[in-house]
Amino acid sequence: MNQDAKKLVDSKAVDALLDTLEEGAADKTIIRAGGRALWMARLRGTSTVIAALLIFVGLSLATPLFLKLDNLLLVARQISILQIIAVGMTFLFISREIDLSVGSIYGFLAIVLATLIAKQHINPWVSLAMVVVLGGIIGLVNGVITTRFGIPSFIVTLGGLSILRGGALLLSGGWPIALKLGEDSTFPKLTDGRLFGTVPAQIFWMLGITIVASFVLSKTKFGAHVYATGGNEEAAILTGIATKRVKTISFMLTGALCGIAAGLLLGQVGSGFPLTGQGFELDVIAAVVIGGTPLWGGAGSILGTLLGAAIIGMITNGLVLLGASAYFEPVAKGSIIVLAVLADTLIRRRAR
Amino acid sequence: MTNNGRKPFLELRGISKRFGHVQALQDVDFDIAEAEVVALVGDNGAGKSTLIKVISGAYQPDAGEILIDGRPVNFQNPKDALQAGIATVYQNLALVDQRDVVSNIFLGREMTRGLVLDQKGMAEATGRVLNELRSDIPSVHVEVGLLSGGQRQAVAIARAINQREGMRLIIMDEPVAALGIEETRKVLRLIERLKEQGFAVIVISHNLEHVFSVADRIVVLRRGRMVGVREKSATTAAEIVHLIVGAEHI
Repeated sequence: MNQDAKKLVDSKAVDALLDTLEEGAADKTIIRAGGRALWMARLRGTSTVIAALLIFVGLSLATPLFLKLDNLLLVARQISILQIIAVGMTFLFISREIDLSVGSIYGFLAIVLATLIAKQHINPWVSLAMVVVLGGIIGLVNGVITTRFGIPSFIVTLGGLSILRGGALLLSGGWPIALKLGEDSTFPKLTDGRLFGTVPAQIFWMLGITIVASFVLSKTKFGAHVYATGGNEEAAILTGIATKRVKTISFMLTGALCGIAAGLLLGQVGSGFPLTGQGFELDVIAAVVIGGTPLWGGAGSILGTLLGAAIIGMITNGLVLLGASAYFEPVAKGSIIVLAVLADTLIRRRAR
Repeated sequence: MTNNGRKPFLELRGISKRFGHVQALQDVDFDIAEAEVVALVGDNGAGKSTLIKVISGAYQPDAGEILIDGRPVNFQNPKDALQAGIATVYQNLALVDQRDVVSNIFLGREMTRGLVLDQKGMAEATGRVLNELRSDIPSVHVEVGLLSGGQRQAVAIARAINQREGMRLIIMDEPVAALGIEETRKVLRLIERLKEQGFAVIVISHNLEHVFSVADRIVVLRRGRMVGVREKSATTAAEIVHLIVGAEHI
């Protein structure tokens, strides 16, 4: 046995050594390291805020039109549907799943909703409740196939993307379906009207859903289980968390929110279109990722996603105000996604 | 079997366990008292993991009995063992790196007030248990992924002893296997703290230096049989090595 080992075997020497370590300088280094780590963790949380502020200030300086109240309300209205669906996607990302079919669920439910209202003459609010439930059932199917049969949600929902788009086309025959609601219907008023004179109704729906979802995720037991499921599923199972149920509920929530989004769309445009939501899953994923929720689960927030959606909305709006070519919009969006993830990765690496 | 004169808290008598043609454990006797640290040593395949899985309820023995406070018990699953006050710290620690210390310690059994998580209550309880372990974790709100190996071990131990009221035995499978020398010392210190607080601790380790620095007794397994129990004060590393590899190999 070497000298070190002899020291270790002699337990008095160990005690003395450990005491110096505990009270000594080594301890302080670790606390300092912990301090830096905490600071880095905070920076990670605020990088999205900084990006959103930079874009906001930049656009305000670049064009006087941007800061007008009407324009800001327009941006908020434009991101409402995006944010509502992205709320569900945030739950899925944190639990380490993905739903590529959100654009198709949204489009399919818009056609179903238009059919119920225009062809079955069912009260629009009752119809909306029905498509929200239907969205939940579609999420349930996605969740069950993913969790019970162990098929990656990427594949399951890629299938759903195609199936539900086909469903929307079959159900509508490829034609738009107009709602033909009466003058006195409360449906368009409460989904597209101006509340308190100026604020579009969609903004209330978006903020209401965002606040409730943020509460559930950060303040409830279920929320804690969503994070644990995506962070380390094995550990979550060992401590008795029903991770399959957590994931399935997240899929159901996403589907149900697609139903609400379909309701808001129909309230606004008055018709259901079979190609509604085509490619929308990419915008939704972009909002979530830009908002700081990583693809690999276990972290992220609903308010981050709101900022992500706001960044996308501001860029789209800003490019229009600045007179840029519409073809430039996807380029800008794509670049921001990559930059956001790159920034997050670099900060994470420095924190280690 | 000597036990410093204390009454054993957990006793195993004549435990055997077979997997197909492999006799993983044969007629093993084992006991441990409160405030005692027992090291379980042996070569790969000697039966250490099988034995702790029998104690933690993950495996059911084919023969033999388990007694707690002298009364026979029958563990059908890890939950039964947990009810009896036996907790296991997994080798990979089973921590969620992206979550803070509090979330990890209360993983799966979060405290709530109505619908809402009781963040304050959980943070205070976490602070208490970490203080008792005299851990150097800088804040209960730091992400576990940012902690050192020894600090992570402290979180896993804190979770194990905090799982429910009345935990009495902590089983640790290779707690220092992946740690540097400084972090190893901290974990050995944690084990001493557990002992001071009256916990019984079973430690599996390959490293005899560590075994000698923390254990009161050393239990040696070879090919599923218990081949020796030694008080630390009455043995040498050479003798333990001799027992581990077996006389015929020397």
